[in-house]
Amino acid sequence: MSGEACLVARELVRTYRRGSEEIRAVDGVSLAIRRGEFVAVTGPSGSGKTTLVNLLGCLENPSGGELELVGRPIFGGGRTLTERELTRIRRQLFGYIFQSFYLIPSLTVRENVQLPLVFYRKTGVADETEKLLALVGLEKRAEHLPGQISGGEMQRVAIARALVNAPEILLADEPTGNLDTRRAREIGAILQELNEARGLTILLVTHNPGMAALAHRVVEMRDGRIVP
Amino acid sequence: MPKKHWLAVTGSHAMTTLWICLLSLCLAFPPGAFAAVGCDLNDPDRDVARLFPESTGYRTWYAGIDKQGGEPLLRRVESRLGDRFQGIFETIDVPYTIYDIYRDKTTVGYIHGVNQKGQYGGIQVFVALDLGGRITAFYIQKITSRHAKELRSAAFGKQFVGLSLKEFASYDPAAGRATGPVAAVKNPAPEAEIDFRAALRALKKNLILMDEFVFSRGGGSK
Amino acid sequence: MITPFQVAAKNLLRKKARTALTLVGITLSAWVLVSLLGFNRGYETALNRNIEGMGFQIMVMAKGCPYEAATMMLQGGTGFRYMEESVVEQIRQDPDVDKITPILMQAFFDPNKGQSGGIAGYFGVDPASFPELRPFFRFRQGGWFKEPAALEAVMGYEVAELEQREVGDRILVPEKDVELKVVGVMERTGTQDDGIIFVPLRALQQIAGIDRITTVGVRTREGADLGALEGRLYKLPDVQVVSFSQVKDTIMKLIGTARVMVLSIAVIAIVIAMVGVVNTVLMSVLERLQEIGIIKTVGAMPGDVFRLVWTETVILCGVGGAAGIVLALAMARGTDVLVRLALPYAPTGSLVAIDLKLAAATFGVIVGVGLLSGLYPAWRAGRIRPLDSIRGEGR
Repeated sequence: MSGEACLVARELVRTYRRGSEEIRAVDGVSLAIRRGEFVAVTGPSGSGKTTLVNLLGCLENPSGGELELVGRPIFGGGRTLTERELTRIRRQLFGYIFQSFYLIPSLTVRENVQLPLVFYRKTGVADETEKLLALVGLEKRAEHLPGQISGGEMQRVAIARALVNAPEILLADEPTGNLDTRRAREIGAILQELNEARGLTILLVTHNPGMAALAHRVVEMRDGRIVP
Repeated sequence: MPKKHWLAVTGSHAMTTLWICLLSLCLAFPPGAFAAVGCDLNDPDRDVARLFPESTGYRTWYAGIDKQGGEPLLRRVESRLGDRFQGIFETIDVPYTIYDIYRDKTTVGYIHGVNQKGQYGGIQVFVALDLGGRITAFYIQKITSRHAKELRSAAFGKQFVGLSLKEFASYDPAAGRATGPVAAVKNPAPEAEIDFRAALRALKKNLILMDEFVFSRGGGSK
Repeated sequence: MITPFQVAAKNLLRKKARTALTLVGITLSAWVLVSLLGFNRGYETALNRNIEGMGFQIMVMAKGCPYEAATMMLQGGTGFRYMEESVVEQIRQDPDVDKITPILMQAFFDPNKGQSGGIAGYFGVDPASFPELRPFFRFRQGGWFKEPAALEAVMGYEVAELEQREVGDRILVPEKDVELKVVGVMERTGTQDDGIIFVPLRALQQIAGIDRITTVGVRTREGADLGALEGRLYKLPDVQVVSFSQVKDTIMKLIGTARVMVLSIAVIAIVIAMVGVVNTVLMSVLERLQEIGIIKTVGAMPGDVFRLVWTETVILCGVGGAAGIVLALAMARGTDVLVRLALPYAPTGSLVAIDLKLAAATFGVIVGVGLLSGLYPAWRAGRIRPLDSIRGEGR
């Protein structure tokens, strides 16, 4: 951990309309994450943790509040970013993994990992596909199709894919939700290693206390706010 | 220069148009097939009914020496005929039309025709056969001859009824000599000797081909 | 490393049956389009060739009603109108006339053809000048007449085959009981000549007892003004002038409607095929919403996704179009047969003329139309927001 702030959020708000009701999914959240920190966000269903992480990960615009990433202001001043602008930010800074693995079934493991490079290669980033495959222990499965590997292996492919463009922050939304205990533990171990050996900043949303325990810091959410 | 009356002008244009239409029809219906010519009944519905009065229907199919046995079959037919296939038109690829004749659902006989070179033109000789290969009717569909009337008469054709390939086996088309029942068949006009012998050759060839295509394969089609 | 093209191609291979069916639709419509365009061109070429084969551009005949002539042709009889032979000399003097030949057409009724008899068509021709006007004269056996008045005959291939006549055989002219010796059997020409028996003009005139002619065939000089020449020829007494370019125009007009109809069918076929393409690609986009969402989270811009989906459309149309054109080339013969069945008038020779330019143009049309049809699904795909599709598994 280097100490400098990598992500700074101030009074983030996200509201939805449902019928005539206005729902505040995120109701004024402020959060700072340092480079190399491993932060877990927990909370019951409907607490707004996923919405918060969507905002922090630039997957959507907030209704209010500010966000700075690696010193650059992103959200704030009432500006709404277009999809293109959001995409540009995302691909510079983030890697994502989700509960459903979302691999492309017609591409091999290696091709799935390389997929981001088809669209964008960050300047100065070498092609680390083979290293990443080795890192997640799938170098022997590189030619297989997603239909031929297990759930745990698929999530590992997703992790490798998320890292191929050397992101600043890895955003993991319930990555073990579809896995059994043993596989979940394996994924947890990989995340831990990525954080400790490579200094990767990780923001993890999870129900699983075992996963949350891997983090440096746990942030608990309830009703759209952080529980102090 | 006298001016043409407008009616004459219009009229001649109309005539021109009509001639054009007529010529277009001529140009537009050129002779078709590019294969050797076979021997079909001109009006099968009428002809089958006349040649096989008890029939209720018929089926048309085509056989060819090239398809049914090739060169070996040709040699066998020639040797049975006692004469070689001659000229540019009596070739191995000529299609032969065979009509299977039905009464209700059973086959009761066959009709088959062959082309034969006659003195002044082509002769088309058709026979109607029963299931035992015996002639029940003899019909010359086409012939160019001064004695065409005699050769196409019912009296002439009746001489063949009841005969079969067995009786013709000894007929020698090249020499025109016959023994047995075939020798009893009379030529209606001495000047028609060439066409008379041509008709007999055609008939023998007809019966041999029917034997090769139908009867020796168990009688029936395919 | 994998390319966007490969990603698109592999996507199509995920639903093999659906892709195959869509391809079949495009292939068939491409086949129809290129065959029909080929036919449009081929028909006119074949017609021209048939007319070239006639050797002369203008026929001059005695003025008379074509209905009578038609009756004559169909049933035999004396429906012919005749011209004096002096007309030949008058026409020859025209400066725009290159070559000229007199013809006497006759038909004799043969009662021994089938049950009700048939007619035999004879052309009395001038042995010297007639061959000059028939560029495609070739003999299967024998040769042309030597004497201008000999009782000889040259037979077209089809009529020779029907009568089983070869050189040296004799034929009997029906009604007149005159024997002619066959001195030549022509090769198949694919024109009306195949069914005609040619006899020296003087001989036929003697046989028929007529000292006149029915027709004069005229070949014009290169670059002559056909219209003006026809006008001059009309001034001759009691003649009818017919030019083959008029005949060709009439035939082309007659089938003109058929061609338009047939081309419309091709257009409809393409529209239907394209609807199939749009449906296939759109369905696959809607099935891949989450995947497309993920692609956007890994860094693909809306434009990248648009291009990815559009490429799928292009691949479908490219492969289908190429397959259709190859199919058309392979089945040109078969298409020929089908077209002949459908049309009332068809000249001989190959009717479907497909060349590289035509194939390329058709391919371009198919791919072009495909690109247009693919715009909507690609635009839909580009507009997908990651969250809309990835939202809430197990929320």
